[in-house]
Amino acid sequence: MAFAFGMGTPMKGLTAFVLSIAIGASIAHAEFYYLIVGGIGGESRYEEIFSEQTQSLAQVAEQTFGDDLRLSLIYGEEATKAALESKLQHLAESTSASDSLAVFLVGHGSYDGEQYKFNLTGPDISGDELLELVNAVPVGEKLLVNTSSASGALVGQWTGKDRTLITATKSGGERNATRFGEHWVASLTSEEADVNKNGIITAEEAFRYTEAKVAGSFESEGTLATEHAQIEGDASGHFIVARLRPRKSETPKIQLLRDESQELEKQINELRMKREGMGTDSYLNALQELLLELALVQRQIDEEQSVQ
Amino acid sequence: MKSSLSSKRVARRGGTCAFVWYLVVGALLLIPFDIFALVVNYSTERNTSLRECDDFLYRGQQLDAQRCYSLLLRGDIDVRLKAEAAWSLGDLKLANSYFQASIKQYPGDPDVRVRWGYLFHITHQDNEASSLFQEALDLEANHAGAKLGLAKVSAGRFGTRARTWVEEVLTQDDEALEAYLLLARMELEDGSIDDADELLSKALAIADLQNFPPLEIYALKASVDLLRGVTDSPWTSLGLEFNPIYGEIYATPAHFYVITRRYREAISLLQQAVDLQPDLWSAHAELGINLLRVNRIVEAQTHLATAYEGDPFSAKIVNTLRLIDSFENFQVIQVDAPRSDLSSGSGVIMRLNNEEAEVLQSYVHDLVQRSIEVFSQRYGFNLVEPVVVELYPEHDDFAVRTSGLPGIGLLGFTFGYLVAMDSPSGRGDGDYHWGTTLWHEMAHVFTLEATNHLVPRWYSEGISVFEEWSTGPLPGRHIPLVVMDAIREGKLLPTAELDSGFIRPTYEDQVIVSYMQAGLICQYIEARWGQDGLVTLLRLFGEGQSTPDAIVNAFSLTPEVFDVGFKEFLDSELAPVINGFAGWQAHTQEAYQAAEREDWPRALEAAEQAIALYPEYVGEGNPHTLKAKAHEALDETEEITTALQSYWQLGGHDPIVLTKLSQLLYSSRLYKEAISVLSDVIYIAPLEEGLHVQLGDWLLQDARPERALQEYKALLAMDSYDRAASHFRLAQAYHALEDVPKTREHLLYALEIAPHYRDAQQLLLEVVH
Repeated sequence: MAFAFGMGTPMKGLTAFVLSIAIGASIAHAEFYYLIVGGIGGESRYEEIFSEQTQSLAQVAEQTFGDDLRLSLIYGEEATKAALESKLQHLAESTSASDSLAVFLVGHGSYDGEQYKFNLTGPDISGDELLELVNAVPVGEKLLVNTSSASGALVGQWTGKDRTLITATKSGGERNATRFGEHWVASLTSEEADVNKNGIITAEEAFRYTEAKVAGSFESEGTLATEHAQIEGDASGHFIVARLRPRKSETPKIQLLRDESQELEKQINELRMKREGMGTDSYLNALQELLLELALVQRQIDEEQSVQ
Repeated sequence: MKSSLSSKRVARRGGTCAFVWYLVVGALLLIPFDIFALVVNYSTERNTSLRECDDFLYRGQQLDAQRCYSLLLRGDIDVRLKAEAAWSLGDLKLANSYFQASIKQYPGDPDVRVRWGYLFHITHQDNEASSLFQEALDLEANHAGAKLGLAKVSAGRFGTRARTWVEEVLTQDDEALEAYLLLARMELEDGSIDDADELLSKALAIADLQNFPPLEIYALKASVDLLRGVTDSPWTSLGLEFNPIYGEIYATPAHFYVITRRYREAISLLQQAVDLQPDLWSAHAELGINLLRVNRIVEAQTHLATAYEGDPFSAKIVNTLRLIDSFENFQVIQVDAPRSDLSSGSGVIMRLNNEEAEVLQSYVHDLVQRSIEVFSQRYGFNLVEPVVVELYPEHDDFAVRTSGLPGIGLLGFTFGYLVAMDSPSGRGDGDYHWGTTLWHEMAHVFTLEATNHLVPRWYSEGISVFEEWSTGPLPGRHIPLVVMDAIREGKLLPTAELDSGFIRPTYEDQVIVSYMQAGLICQYIEARWGQDGLVTLLRLFGEGQSTPDAIVNAFSLTPEVFDVGFKEFLDSELAPVINGFAGWQAHTQEAYQAAEREDWPRALEAAEQAIALYPEYVGEGNPHTLKAKAHEALDETEEITTALQSYWQLGGHDPIVLTKLSQLLYSSRLYKEAISVLSDVIYIAPLEEGLHVQLGDWLLQDARPERALQEYKALLAMDSYDRAASHFRLAQAYHALEDVPKTREHLLYALEIAPHYRDAQQLLLEVVH
């Protein structure tokens, strides 16, 4: 299912907000695994770009999860089909249904009208092969972000519950080298991308930010866009791809406060749904009351965390 | 607001011109029409029967004329006469088919092709007309009618070939009345009133001798009087005695009001023309277009719709009606004058596209208001009406607004109190300094209105260019390289003839050369006689004086001596640059070539040599930015800043370069300087989101919340990606201004989007808890 991202501006925040409610539960129980693959550049300029992007992604992953224990990274000469198969097979053996997996592909792709291929050192890997390997990993939620040219060829090929697919292009026909990767990497450390300002960048937030920046870059150059990013799946709103601030451990007291915070968020959301039937002053007064309460709870959470 | 145009209305984009003409030709073949504007036929060989009918027409006896032509058409006459009779009856479809038949029947007769060409000409299809005139010349190399046809087409486009054709005709036949009329019209358009009058007197004598109706001569004689300041011309009365419903007796002089930018007077005459002759479609069209120029949109639409009903062939009418329809996509924002004193004007009305109105209005208004205050003071004239400023995101809409047709290269145009120009988004080249264009046009508002539109073109342009250089938002004198070439090659015109450089340029780039020459002349006047000299000359033009007379009376110099002084000024100002121009070009080229091979020391040296010869050049391919690049490659950080500062101070305005300079200044703790540089980017790229974020944040840190607020409001209006942050920034600015209700409001909107927004939460607790 493709997301309807054409919603009006006020909904931007709402979508992110509603989905953010689920974050707490996810954080408490899931182990996240990251696989970052930097494909072959073909020429030095792209080698450099892809290398920088894969390393930036790795840095973000480390910062997000506090270590690199569940991070796999292959790029450059080491990024062969065999190495990729090996990494995914290892993940298939070492993960369980309570875990999550995010796979990031940075590089060039190609599409011959029938088959998509991601360019690696040596033989390329086809879209079918890649998806089959990812499917074999028994985790619950999976995210596949493919920043390569022609990556849109995978759209519609990998649907299903708990699967989120993000591609840089809308089809295999968009074959130019993409700008998506550059902006995706930027989104993971961007306060601007964090629309709901909770310090966490979800896949949806990163996608929306990247999509906007790519479109803006073509617009400011006055050129026709040669790529149109796509997103499929219903889990992108709570799939964490980066944290802007280091993760801290949760105490029972903090957990109670978080429950309180979530309840307040729920009430705020309900109030927003009633907005059209209320006068502006009444709405803002009611909103203020809830937001003040939430701010105070948040302050307590921050204070609790600061003494740890 | 919608007009009554049918679906036949044609597209207005430049890329669809072919489509426009296709429909127009199609319409000619399909639709019958009422009588078109009266066109006098001066052929001595015109058929006697037709001439008898013509006489009724020329005298304004329309029913008799109609009866006469109808009888002729029903008779057993030559197909060529049938074509003429049908045309005179206004049945253009029938006339067209008879001309087609005539061509088949008389393939060797050049007259048929010429007359058919004229039919195309009056229906605005000049390309087809020209082809037919050319075919006639192929059949008869000296065919006067064909040459005059080509001359009319060329004259309608203000082309220079027109005179050559007319002169050829007069060499063949010095009694060719139509040639005298065309030549007189061109002389009047060039401002040579006496020459025109003389030609018309000759034409009148010929008309007397050959018993031609003098109507067109009278109308042009009335135009001569009008250009001499005589509005109650006896020729008008004579014309109306000859034909009491001859609307052209007013419409023709109105044309000369229009081309001398006296739109209010033109409107008055055109109104008289349509009152007298309601089926004079061309006058309705001109009236509509000129009403639009003074912002009387509803009336304009009515007259244009009337014109369209009678003349659906005109792309100008159709395009203008479409433009009026598109006004529904624009916001009209009226801001009253800030103070009661006259020098602050009478307010500003902005017509801005819905998609950018919220972002642009404050910047546009600020600049307009500043220009009003500056020019009121400098020229001692106070505006008495609100200034209307229209910004078009589509360049072709602006082109239609100014000329009725897409495809012109102008950036802005002033019709008196109304300024129309490209919006910052109207040109995608990143080099469009809309602030300078607006400043230039606002100077026109003053020069036009201070002289009741009597200022000659060169002086109005000269003052505008001079003010761009002296007081505008872009500092420095900017002279394109082609103008330097023209100066070096001695291509400048005498001041008294400078208008022709704008109206009928004789070489490529002469228009831009004339703009710069006019600006330099104003610089010369200011340097020698001070600002008073400029004001005095403007006053004399306002009294209706010609350029030579005004120069004599203002400076007690003959125009020739004035030009000698100007030449000396030019030498003193530009000789070093002009003499060193070849060297500048060589050094600049060397600098870029060295940069290409990454020989940065050599690139730096060559760039510095070039800058020493011509420091003012900051346009494309300038050595300043290359110098900065060389310093960057050599890790000379301070020198990068210095080089880019020079570039900026001289008027360099590449938005990427200025943004970089502002960041360098900011990181060197030169906060105010950084803000000044970044503020200038608004005049080039006001629709860049990041600009407003950065500038607003710096202004707020610099304790200038009022200005920061302007940036943040623009940011919010752009529907920025991070709306929560935009609201929070606004809240911060309002907080600094101690506006608690507004602070609270924007904090709540920020937190509504992002409930966990820590900074907003803290400020909310501080403000309301």
